[in-house]
Amino acid sequence: MEKRRRHDGSFFLAMLPLYVTTLVFVLLPVLYVVALSFMKRDATWGVTSEFTLENYIRLWDPIYLKVLLDSLKIAVKTTLLALAIGYPFAYCMAKLPPRKRGIVMVLVIVPFWTNALVRIYGWMILLRANGVVNTLLLEIGIVDVPLKLLYTDGAVLLGMVYSLLPFMILPSYTSIEKMDWSLVEAARDLGAGKMRAFLTVTLRLTLPGILSGCVLVFVPSMGLFFISDLLGGGKEVLMGNLIQNQILTARNWPFGAALSVVMMLMTLLFLFVYRKSTKQSQPEGMA
Amino acid sequence: MKKLLVGFMIAAMAMTLLVGCGSAGDSSQPSTNNGAEGKTDEEKVLNIFTWATYFPDDILKSFTEETGIAINYSNFSTNEEMLSKLETVQGGEYDIVLASDYIVKMAIDKGLVKKLDKAQIPNYDNLDPSYLGNYFDPDNEYTVPYGVGTPLIVYDPSRVDVEIKGYADLWNPALKDSLVLVNDARNILGITLKTMGKSLNEEDSAVLEEAKSKLMELKDNVRVLDYDTPYNKLLEGEATVGYMFTSQAATCLTVNPDLKVVYPEEGLGFGIDAIFTPSNAPHEKNAHAFLNYILQGEVAADIYPQILYLCPNKAAYEFLPEEYTSNSAINIPEENRKDVEFIQVISNEASDLYNSIWTEFVQAVG
Repeated sequence: MEKRRRHDGSFFLAMLPLYVTTLVFVLLPVLYVVALSFMKRDATWGVTSEFTLENYIRLWDPIYLKVLLDSLKIAVKTTLLALAIGYPFAYCMAKLPPRKRGIVMVLVIVPFWTNALVRIYGWMILLRANGVVNTLLLEIGIVDVPLKLLYTDGAVLLGMVYSLLPFMILPSYTSIEKMDWSLVEAARDLGAGKMRAFLTVTLRLTLPGILSGCVLVFVPSMGLFFISDLLGGGKEVLMGNLIQNQILTARNWPFGAALSVVMMLMTLLFLFVYRKSTKQSQPEGMA
Repeated sequence: MKKLLVGFMIAAMAMTLLVGCGSAGDSSQPSTNNGAEGKTDEEKVLNIFTWATYFPDDILKSFTEETGIAINYSNFSTNEEMLSKLETVQGGEYDIVLASDYIVKMAIDKGLVKKLDKAQIPNYDNLDPSYLGNYFDPDNEYTVPYGVGTPLIVYDPSRVDVEIKGYADLWNPALKDSLVLVNDARNILGITLKTMGKSLNEEDSAVLEEAKSKLMELKDNVRVLDYDTPYNKLLEGEATVGYMFTSQAATCLTVNPDLKVVYPEEGLGFGIDAIFTPSNAPHEKNAHAFLNYILQGEVAADIYPQILYLCPNKAAYEFLPEEYTSNSAINIPEENRKDVEFIQVISNEASDLYNSIWTEFVQAVG
């Protein structure tokens, strides 16, 4: 399917809008951000087109290194948790009869027809001091005073995993679903135990899906500033928060741009590692 | 095929994640008059640019009914967003812009603001002189003050045992894990400086370093940082003491009259959101008509109880409802109004220092 008419003129013509939009809406803004990151800020407002490396030097300030480290930490935690929940979920989903599979798929997708912000506000209502969870716990008598659930690191992690879980489930599911189960049977026939067959055959064959899920969860989890703002009570500075702050309130666009460049480079690095480790050019599930 | 479908769904979901960050956005495209019709015969349109709901709907509606001038209301969510848009359109497109004092000053300095024609605004005289002649417009040539405010401390006396008289009391160890503060470097570092007897606009890095260590001592008391809705945190009981902007403090009291307001003894911060007409406003005449309309005493008296800011219109004073004038976040005693201080624009170096101190503080809190 991929090799069809690649060098055909009509193919090029048909793809032209894609090239143009990519150029205008992806490449140009990225180039603008990169250029901005090497500029100086003007006296009170805006930037001057004077070359400087000062924005990149500033990144090495321990405060900002800590922001990067904190973001990486929460991204790793989010990814591992999403994997621990998402992979078994996808595995069970693939084992279901096709009709039920469809229903479960819809259940995974449907919440995403609502804006992410609204769903996070939903969590705030559930978790707050006089919220649903606390009221329930108090009624049953498990706790005497309301628990401080909201505005904690745990709440942020919950929000992250909740928002990004489908990005782990779907690629894993695609991988597991298209796997040739006769290979597992063969392994079992040849004397492998259930666990051993899973580890050597199933896991190995679905690795591209797992890794692709990890990339899809890891990368956005460093930039979702509104989750840490709303569920963390603004007490966490992640890369996303820092960039938003530098651009919108600190009026330091060049530094914000430099931070964005760092984020983009890290994303590229993950994609590169993914490519090397799976020999696939595109993450699984991203057709 | 299935792979394609899944990919598509992932892309669709990613979109819903992304739109989370967008602002409310413009509901309508402002229409531009190309100037061909001339000043005397402007089309009956007015393009307003400010925060959502800052001009109450009923006021806009009655203005349109009275004058036949249709209003396009576009929103921004931060002052900085406003200035970058205004710069992009070179002071055109919009006729009425309402933003905070410091950014209005920047806009004036950049030549993006037009002088007002007072002859077209006879009701300008209704303004209380005590709100005029401020640093951003010392000769009152460019702006009409609209929303006046001063951040205040609000607390729940039923859940707070200590006496709170000023900013310094926020550091009281008895308030562990119970403060909600506006998430803003200048304001919070500002009140820290106030407790040290310094200015909100301190630029000396040695003093700022000192303020930093002082601020760090506050970290255990902070429960939440929230710029937009700190009042909810207090009303929901997540926090028991709050430091927030006027309209937010006033909202607290409207919902729960048992909460108490403190006018900090160290002195109040102060801010004025002001209206101006951009340098290339397409409907200048309509803009002046609008300003004259909202400056009428009775109209102003209808605006302020809705937006919950202090009213700078002396002709409105007699019409203001009692529930508004008795709100202690609005009714600030004369003696506390004397030594107010504006948060002004400071040097880049100082501003960067404020922001890095703030980042470090927020990290320490979390």
